[in-house]
Amino acid sequence: MSKAQHGGVSRRGFLGLAGAAIAAPALAACNVSGNSGANKAGGGGALKFWDMPWGTPAYNDLGKKIITDYTGSTKATYQIIQWNGFYQTFSSAIASKTGPAVSSGAGFQAFQFADQGQIAYADNFIESLKKDGTYDDFLPGVLDTMKTDKGYAGVPWQTDVRPFWYNKALLDQAGVSVPTSWDELLAAGKALKKVGVSGFATGAGAGNNLGAHTMVAMMVNNGGGMFDPDGKPDCVTDANIQAMTFVRELANEGIIDSGAVSYTADNLDAQWKNKKAGIGIHTPGLAARAGTTGKDLHVMDPLKSSSGTVAGLFFVNNLMMYTNTPSQEASEAFLKYYLGQIHTYWQSPVGVAVPVLKSIAKADYYAKDPNQVAIVDKWMPVCKTYAAKKTQSFAALAAVDGGQPLAQFAQAMLQGKTDPKAALTTLQQGLESIVKR
Amino acid sequence: MTLTQGVSTKSRSRPTAPPAPSTKGKRPSRRAITMILLVAPAIILVVLINAYPLVVAASQSIHNGTLIVTGDFVGLSNYADVVTSPRFWSAARFTLIFTVVGVFGSWLAGMGLALLLRTKIPARGLFKILLMLPWVVPIVVSSTAWNWLVGTPDSPLPALASQLGFGEVHFLADPTLAAITVCVFKVWVSFPFMMLMTSAALAAVDTGVYEAAGIDGAGRWQQFVHITLPLISRSTYISWILMTIFCVNDFPTIYLLTGGGPVDATSSLVVLAYRSVFQDLLTGPGVAIAFLMTLVLVIISTTLYRQIKKVDIA
Repeated sequence: MSKAQHGGVSRRGFLGLAGAAIAAPALAACNVSGNSGANKAGGGGALKFWDMPWGTPAYNDLGKKIITDYTGSTKATYQIIQWNGFYQTFSSAIASKTGPAVSSGAGFQAFQFADQGQIAYADNFIESLKKDGTYDDFLPGVLDTMKTDKGYAGVPWQTDVRPFWYNKALLDQAGVSVPTSWDELLAAGKALKKVGVSGFATGAGAGNNLGAHTMVAMMVNNGGGMFDPDGKPDCVTDANIQAMTFVRELANEGIIDSGAVSYTADNLDAQWKNKKAGIGIHTPGLAARAGTTGKDLHVMDPLKSSSGTVAGLFFVNNLMMYTNTPSQEASEAFLKYYLGQIHTYWQSPVGVAVPVLKSIAKADYYAKDPNQVAIVDKWMPVCKTYAAKKTQSFAALAAVDGGQPLAQFAQAMLQGKTDPKAALTTLQQGLESIVKR
Repeated sequence: MTLTQGVSTKSRSRPTAPPAPSTKGKRPSRRAITMILLVAPAIILVVLINAYPLVVAASQSIHNGTLIVTGDFVGLSNYADVVTSPRFWSAARFTLIFTVVGVFGSWLAGMGLALLLRTKIPARGLFKILLMLPWVVPIVVSSTAWNWLVGTPDSPLPALASQLGFGEVHFLADPTLAAITVCVFKVWVSFPFMMLMTSAALAAVDTGVYEAAGIDGAGRWQQFVHITLPLISRSTYISWILMTIFCVNDFPTIYLLTGGGPVDATSSLVVLAYRSVFQDLLTGPGVAIAFLMTLVLVIISTTLYRQIKKVDIA
């Protein structure tokens, strides 16, 4: 027995144990890796469904129940992905083959990941919807927004419209009627300003995209948009310059709150709640977010722009299937089941946006809210996506929405100091730098 | 001990000492191999943890890919695009201002309070705890509180400014005021750290030195400049290095309060890097910015570290 063996374990033995200790987790890791590769969208062969917090916390509770109740041949699992850092979460999971088989997500996420070969196109699924009649249940136009040259990148499940809202009590106080055109909007804004209220409430502060959405909505309203029919950036157009000249006039008249450039979503909500906002573009759920002021808030009809056109902006949120799945059949079977259950989100209700199915939009539980009916009946038929004037969406829109060029552009316009043509030229250059890649 | 004794002791010890191992041309001993094997897992782990992300990031910075796909090799064009962009230099300028104000503002405030807390004031312990709160409270909570304080015209500070006759002040909407607000916020968040560092350094200073200086006729200011500052200089340089790194890498303080706006007025390099990667989805340029930041930080840290060594020698 050597001296080193006094402790009961020889040096060689100790090193052997140490080696084994190191090797065990390494081998285990290899095994896990092997498993994940074999099962693809993992969970022991289960189908992973990732969902975002689309409404109140009750939304995700209901979502989890829907997935738990799924009795398809492949078991489904439910995971909530927070909006904060969602792109990193999805990207890193997809890169490591641990991503979902089916998910909801940002409006242009499907196009973005389709461009990188990660999306399973939904053409077969859409065909099956034609057979069972669900296809005809979609509101006009929404399915078309999912089309790409290679197929359907996703399946719509709700739309996020950007309608004009107004506070009737404040308009009455200012002695003006509800505007129907930009000229009337300007007049109403001037009247509202006299009673200390913003006639074009928006915000472009930290984490608030509404200012950017508002600028694009105004361009689209005036017959413009950020892209030409081929999908190339085309910002410096007469329609856009006219729209942004109007926005600058609103800013210079003091109709846009000079603090709007820094308002977060919470700041802006506070302005609506505190009766400091009389008119503005916002989300479909504004009235529900405005507390007791909500009862005074109503959706306006789409406005006739300076050029005489009527249009609005919407985002078609969709469900997407990934190539990394236990099987494509399992993904499609799950998606069909899920699409058949989404009406419960509006039935409950749990704070989701505007439905894409006629059967939900016309149901009593939805139609009791006149604001939501106005959004479906009056806004959706005239709405276009970020891609306007191109009809199809594309991958680069994911970078455009929330990207720096558009956010900066919105802030510059809300300050009211920048020449519209110069600001649009800068936006054009910024978009070209994103889209070219 | 005499010289003879010393020599004899030395000579006696020689035969008992093990012969010095000569490694030249020989294989390492079993003991050395054992040591290497024992340390190897830790070294491999550290190298993997540090080196792997670094190598991946370096690769991303010379490709035009995304977080999922590597993309095409583009050489140093991402770096060239970044350094020729006015937005990069605008962000670099704000980073410099933010860092200088953050480091020296928090140092001055921290040192002032550390000196104050050395005097006999009632409830000193309670004050120490209260003064630590800005550092202890999560930055999400602090930024929400500051947004409430200055975010809208109805917020307390703008309302106060309006009542004092300054008109409608938009702390976060005006580019200059937003930059000032963010810098002040940084000082507010950081001064407790500086206070803690300075307090620890001051506690190590011998009070007898001040008594001697007092007898020699040195006033309080002279004592501060010629005794206190030199004696705590090592700690000061270390706190400057740390705070410089904290400021340059500080993302949440800026992003949560202003998002880098309005119109990039408060966009620092780290905010620009984040927005390039995760909002514009331009991974290569974003990572290139991060690498350039690292280079600058290494230069600044090395310079300050050399200053510490000079102090040690002195």
